[in-house]
Amino acid sequence: MDFSGPSGGRGGDHTVSMDDAPPRRIGPSRADLAALGLTFFALGVTVNVLVLDRVGDVGLTIGAALLINSATTELAYLAVRDAGGTQVAAIIAGWVVASRFGLLAVSLGARLEVGRLHRAAAGLQSFDPNVAVAIQQRTPRDVARVFWRVTAAMHAGWISGVLVGALLGNVIGDSQRFGLDALFPAALLAIIGNLLRQRSGATAAAVGGGLCLVLIPIAPAGVPIIASLVGAVVALRIPDRIESRAT
Amino acid sequence: MTWPIVALLAAGVWAQRLVGMFAGARALERQPALGRLAALIPAAVVMAVIVQLTFVAGGSIRIDARLVGMVVAGVLVWRRAPFVVVVVAAATATALTRLL
Repeated sequence: MDFSGPSGGRGGDHTVSMDDAPPRRIGPSRADLAALGLTFFALGVTVNVLVLDRVGDVGLTIGAALLINSATTELAYLAVRDAGGTQVAAIIAGWVVASRFGLLAVSLGARLEVGRLHRAAAGLQSFDPNVAVAIQQRTPRDVARVFWRVTAAMHAGWISGVLVGALLGNVIGDSQRFGLDALFPAALLAIIGNLLRQRSGATAAAVGGGLCLVLIPIAPAGVPIIASLVGAVVALRIPDRIESRAT
Repeated sequence: MTWPIVALLAAGVWAQRLVGMFAGARALERQPALGRLAALIPAAVVMAVIVQLTFVAGGSIRIDARLVGMVVAGVLVWRRAPFVVVVVAAATATALTRLL
C-alpha cells in the first residue's frame, strides 16, 4: 500500500534529508487514483440507485447528489424518514453525519498554505480519502497538489456513478449482490492504512472506532461519528517514535 | 426528498465544511498545539465511518457478510497490498459470503 507516496508516513522507518532529496513522485500513483475513481463510481451507482428508489425523480436524485455533495447526508436523511422520523429530525441527522467533513476541513486547513478562495474551494471538497491522503504529504505545496489530484479522481468516479445510478437505477437492481457495500469501507481502511502504522494513529482509530461501535445502538444517528473525536484526543498522549515536524 | 429539502441539507453541509476550514485554521494559528490533534482526527473519524459502514444496517447493528470483506481488507492492508487489490478482494469476499 503506497497511498501516501514516498513523502508520506511521518512516523516512517527512515528519515529523508530535506535539501538534497532525489526527484520523487508525489502522492498516490495513477493506478491507485484509478482504483479510487472506480470505488467512487461504484459508490455513486449504489447510493443513487437507492436514492432514486425512494425519491422517484431522476432530476432530483442527480441534483441532490451534486448539490449536497455528501452521500452519507442523503443516506442519513432517508434512513430517518424510513424509520418514521419527522422532516426536522431527518434534516438534522443529515447535517450531523456531515459534521465529519467539517472536522476533516479543520485537519486539511491546518496543512494548507493558500489564498482565501482556494481555501474555500478546498473546504467545500473535503472528503475522507482526499484529506486523509493529502495530510500525509510533507510540504504544504504537496498537500494542496495531492489533495486536488485525489479530489479529481474521486469526483470523476462519483459523478459518472451518480449519472449511471440515477439513469439506470431500475435496470441495475440489488447492488448488494456484488458486495459493493463493502467497497467503500475497504477503500477507507486502505487509505488510513499508513496512519494506522503509527502508534498515535492506531490509538486514535481504535478508541474512535470502538466508541462509535458502543454508541451506535444507544445514540441518535450521527452522534457516534462525532463522539469518535475522543479517539484523537486520547491519542494525543501517545508519543510517536519520530516527531520530525518540530514547531 | 424535495428541492427545498435538498437545499436545506446542502446549506448545512456547505456551512460546516467552510466553518471547519476557516475557523479551524484560525484557531490553529493561535494554538499551534492543536495541529497534532488535527492530524489525528482523520484516523479517529474515518475509522468510525468504517465501523458504521461495516456493522450498521437500517439503523441498528447487524453482523453480516460485510464483516468478512472487511477482515480480508484488514489483512491485505496490513500486508501492504495495492489499493485496488484491497478493494476488489473485499467486495469479492463479501459477495461470495452472501452466496453461501
